[in-house]
Amino acid sequence: MSQVIAGTESGLRILVVEDEVMIALELECLLEDLGHVSIGVAGCSADAIALGRSTAPDVAFVDIHLTDGPTGIEVARALSADPRITVLFMTANAKRIPPDFAGALGVIDKPYSERTVANALDYVLRRRAGQAPQAESLDGLCLAPRVIG
Amino acid sequence: MTGFPRKAGFPPGVTVDVFAAAFEASPTPMVVTDPRRPDNPIIWSNAAFLTLTGYDRDELYGHNCRLLQGPLTDRATLDALRATTAQGGAFECELMNYRKDGTPFWNGMTISPVRDAAGEILYFFSAQADMTDKHRLEAALRDANGDLEREVGERTADLRAALAQKTALLHEVDHRVKNNLQVIASLMLLKARRTPVGEAREAVQAMADRIGALSTVHRMLYSAGDAAHFDLEAFTGELVADLTAGLAPDGPRVEIAAERLALPAAMAAPLALLLHELATNAVRHAFPGPEVRAGRVRVSARRCPEGMDLAVEDDGIGLAAAAACPDGFGRTLVAMVVRQLRGTLHWSDAGPGTRADIRIPLAGDRAP
Repeated sequence: MSQVIAGTESGLRILVVEDEVMIALELECLLEDLGHVSIGVAGCSADAIALGRSTAPDVAFVDIHLTDGPTGIEVARALSADPRITVLFMTANAKRIPPDFAGALGVIDKPYSERTVANALDYVLRRRAGQAPQAESLDGLCLAPRVIG
Repeated sequence: MTGFPRKAGFPPGVTVDVFAAAFEASPTPMVVTDPRRPDNPIIWSNAAFLTLTGYDRDELYGHNCRLLQGPLTDRATLDALRATTAQGGAFECELMNYRKDGTPFWNGMTISPVRDAAGEILYFFSAQADMTDKHRLEAALRDANGDLEREVGERTADLRAALAQKTALLHEVDHRVKNNLQVIASLMLLKARRTPVGEAREAVQAMADRIGALSTVHRMLYSAGDAAHFDLEAFTGELVADLTAGLAPDGPRVEIAAERLALPAAMAAPLALLLHELATNAVRHAFPGPEVRAGRVRVSARRCPEGMDLAVEDDGIGLAAAAACPDGFGRTLVAMVVRQLRGTLHWSDAGPGTRADIRIPLAGDRAP
């Protein structure tokens, strides 16, 4: 369980929390195309939290509806408690996100385009590098209110 | 006795007997008390008062009016009555009184002092009216109002619950549509990735892109809060951004000149497909490789008297050269969608390049 997958030089290590196998698989391919590394896929909240804790990814993409119900919020709260993990919701159900975003940085609405995913990860990379990116570069990524404020 | 005020004197020929007879015969219950005797007793009452209270004269005369009071007689009203009459004032009120047989009734009364010429109070005169029916009506009205309010409250709650259920259902359906579109797009993209580079892979990729255009429509329709309308300008922006994201930086540029047009949601999907097809066609086929070519694609949309004019124009290789390219599906799709929207389509040489002009009627409730 404790196998550590290293990120590439500029790439991010990413956990995909998604119960739809097709979406998860395609997202992993896309992440690799974009130069990032998938450290795994979790379809339920328990797996997601366990995998997140054991691998401490740079980014976790979290869907709200998982195999055990609308537990993505709980997953986001657990994972974002670790300051090393940036949580991004990725959902067709953004209305369920609580006002504090459960600690997540923002949300990407489904159905998403490849461009949105690429831009969101770019934004995360620049934030980690200490740069404050322009608001107009946030195409398709909706930030949590506390991040904007 | 010093006599009564002069203005109260009788006209000639009218004697005190006339008034005694008139008061006795009046349907209004009346009573007179003497405050100068101990405990202000009743000294006279008319027949109507006897009928109202159920007492005989000999049971009333010599007794204070309090014999009409009972457990539900309002103490505060009595206190106010006593305070006012003690100061020689007149008083009006409605009191719960009791008949001889114990049945309660609402007694509406006026009480006024009768003074002599010197201003001394000799008597109190009171006229009554049975207000029980009025109180019963008021109570019935209050009950009816209460019932009505309760009923309205229940109905409102029912409607709210029904609306909440409908909203929840809409969210659920919206969520499923979006999720399914994402699954379909993912499936197509996965297949494209596993297909060897070539015509088949391009075809699958193109299908995935078309689904992407439809996905963009759904995302924009339901996240804007207004599920009945669709903003063509915002949609074109998203579409072109997706289209150019994968292009080389020195490849063709895409310009947008779209007016803000709120279109009916029913037109959203066909319009999205149409614009996607035309713009993709221009970007992918007007500037064929192998080397990257600079160029310009312009997408415009504006209102016109008949409805809406759309145009997609490029400065690429032009119609004649593109016709040699046997990629007919995109063009067929454009023609079909234009027909579905009851519009007209015209291809022309833009010299250099190609121009597609589309006019779509917007009539009646389909007008923006």
